[in-house]
Amino acid sequence: MVKFLSEEWVEIGKNYMLEKLDPEKDLKSITTSLLGVVEHIPPDDTTMNFYLELENGQLKDFIVNTGDTFEEKEATYEIRGNYGTYKSVLQGEMNLGIAVLKNRLKVKGSKLQALKLIKPLDGVIVSLKEITDEFEE
Amino acid sequence: MTSDNVIASEKTSLKEAVEIAKKGTHCGMCRFDFLGSGVCPAGKKHGFLAYWPQGRMEIVKQLDSGRVKPTEKLKDIVDSCNLCGFCDKQCNFITQLRPEKVAKALKEYVESLDKSEFKNVLEDDILRGLREIVGEEWATNDPNIISSYTFTILPLDSELNYYVVMPENAEQVSKIIKFANKNNIPFLPRGGGTAFSAAAPTVLVKGLSLERGIVIDLYRLRKLEIHPESCTATVGAGITMFELQKGALSHKLRALAAEAGAHVCSNIVTTGIISTWGNRYGAFADNFIDLTTVDGEGNIKKHSDWERDNPYSTEPGFTNLSLTPHNIVTEAVVKLHPIFDDEEVVLVPFDNLRDAYRLLIKLGKRGIGLSLAVLSRKYLAEFLSPTLQISKDFDYVCKNYLKLNYVVSIICNKDDKKIVEDMVDYTIGQSLMKNLILGAPRFSTLKDSEFMKILSEEKDPLYAIFAGPMRDHLEKALDPSPENVAKVFDEDLQDFFKTVYSKPEMTDIVWLHAFRILPTRMLRQQMFMGPGGAMWTGDENHYLNWIQMFSDMGDKLNVEHSLGFITPLDNGKFAYMEYDYYYDHNDPDVCDRISKIVVDSMEQSLVMGKVLTILNYLFKGIYRKEHVLYPIPKGISKEEQILFKELLETILGEEV
Repeated sequence: MVKFLSEEWVEIGKNYMLEKLDPEKDLKSITTSLLGVVEHIPPDDTTMNFYLELENGQLKDFIVNTGDTFEEKEATYEIRGNYGTYKSVLQGEMNLGIAVLKNRLKVKGSKLQALKLIKPLDGVIVSLKEITDEFEE
Repeated sequence: MTSDNVIASEKTSLKEAVEIAKKGTHCGMCRFDFLGSGVCPAGKKHGFLAYWPQGRMEIVKQLDSGRVKPTEKLKDIVDSCNLCGFCDKQCNFITQLRPEKVAKALKEYVESLDKSEFKNVLEDDILRGLREIVGEEWATNDPNIISSYTFTILPLDSELNYYVVMPENAEQVSKIIKFANKNNIPFLPRGGGTAFSAAAPTVLVKGLSLERGIVIDLYRLRKLEIHPESCTATVGAGITMFELQKGALSHKLRALAAEAGAHVCSNIVTTGIISTWGNRYGAFADNFIDLTTVDGEGNIKKHSDWERDNPYSTEPGFTNLSLTPHNIVTEAVVKLHPIFDDEEVVLVPFDNLRDAYRLLIKLGKRGIGLSLAVLSRKYLAEFLSPTLQISKDFDYVCKNYLKLNYVVSIICNKDDKKIVEDMVDYTIGQSLMKNLILGAPRFSTLKDSEFMKILSEEKDPLYAIFAGPMRDHLEKALDPSPENVAKVFDEDLQDFFKTVYSKPEMTDIVWLHAFRILPTRMLRQQMFMGPGGAMWTGDENHYLNWIQMFSDMGDKLNVEHSLGFITPLDNGKFAYMEYDYYYDHNDPDVCDRISKIVVDSMEQSLVMGKVLTILNYLFKGIYRKEHVLYPIPKGISKEEQILFKELLETILGEEV
């Protein structure tokens, strides 16, 4: 169990997804990429992002960066929201879909396509929930 | 005496108070002066819902349930009430409840507690920050105040871990949002709260409520300026439709109006103003010329700003659903419309819906009428009847003897009236409607009378009563007078209601259509849920089948149901329809059935096609109607149906 957005979080997350998730069953063999932008991170009100790429249900990339853009790769979807919302999702208080529908997470790109992604991404969210237990206060 | 026990066990008066409070449905009619009898002085002064009659009723329920304990602030809340009785007059007119009894019982309860019983609530950093923005008086974390917002923005089972803040302008709203974001706290604006109260007992509550965080109560944005020279009004987010309409009327102007208690700005942003005047006055963005909005980042923008992205455009379809507004509308400049000297009401009665619908659409397409709608028998009965029992009897008489099941209601000028009268065999005008209002108690007693039995044996009872000699007999039998209506109210209020019903506007159908104080009677001591939406009118059978689907669902799930109204939009190309289900919001079993109806009817509507359900237009009221209504939706595919179910599962969880 690790701290959200730490280097360790990425490493453990990668391993967890590779080991525990079945590309076909858990990730519906999807090919997509997602940039999650996390704003208002305590205590200094900073912004970070994580880039996640899947190809045929296989995790291809999972990277954490500072700032609100990721220059190296262009993601198919960008989901932007504050730290508290991501925390609520990872603590299981709110699901990803409702966070999008309540505009707590803002989607760049087609909302329809993003909503279609939510189910296939369930496995990723469950994995991140499993490994994340520490947050900035 | 201790507050550890549920309060209802302490005193008989409290038991009665809890029972009254449970019947309350948060119609919000106690927050503005619709009878000219005054409005709660404590609520006006202190603003927070807890100081208004509806808030006190909610607090009594919450104290009784044990969810909240007395705090120091509770003393202030009860002390602020001087038992002036304004609330009893207002509430009794609509619901026949007596909120003053609740306020009195709460006062006595608080006065009987020991000093040590009151919890002191400490200020924390978040509250301190909010108070720096709005001033100490206008932000709170007091559980009693927070509990008063249950049912109108907070879910029924929340932990009350909220703040309530009352900004007075857009700049303060902006600062609150920036502060909330910085501290990672969710927030939600609150206008009148009535729309949410209808959703609160159902599965919709999870998606629409605030789970924790900051309630931004917009009541203090009280700006209201009428600009007669430009036929516009500037309206702050705390202004109700009634207040706007009253201001407009003083300049012989009229606003497109939703129900009286709806907050104008909230209504615009939530669904757009849906009204029987919409075919003439417009829908969605037709109704305003400028908006001041605060977005989710706290940026203040005006629609009239140069150099901004198109604020009128939205992606169509149900998957673009939003469960919260994208922007808080803090101020709107709305259009007003001239009132003509020769405006009149014409009602055309029908025994069947198809004929009523045909006339409605024909008139809608020809642009006849300022206000135009099919109203159901149930609607008429609810609106015209001073009590719930009278409305039931009124409905019975119309159904079983008169075969009066629908009316096409038209507010129009003299020229249009003549056109309508030439199109139909008989009509009901202002005079008979006035008599039906003042004679409603007597009308309801005609149930099982010889007069009605004879009438029901006529080949066409509607013709006989409205065009034949029996009309005079009916009018005489009604014995209409303010005194006779007043007699059905509690004895101590009868003089007051005699005065109320003597006022010309209380029997003026044009005024009542514009000010819409009577529809709230649908919420008297029971809740209603009104799903529906807008449908393309090109296919009559398709439209009527859609309505039948709602009716069948009500029968199947054994819930009292009725068509509400149908009103054309966009020159009759679309018609908005509301189908109503009435239920006891304190009965979990019927609440479950209502939830099922909400979900199933939405799915069926999407499958049928050509329908815009609430999923298509929720929180899209600020956009152009052309972007919301078009393209006309096709019936959803199997794949989209699966997506719809997933979407609902996301919103509603396993309950669905």
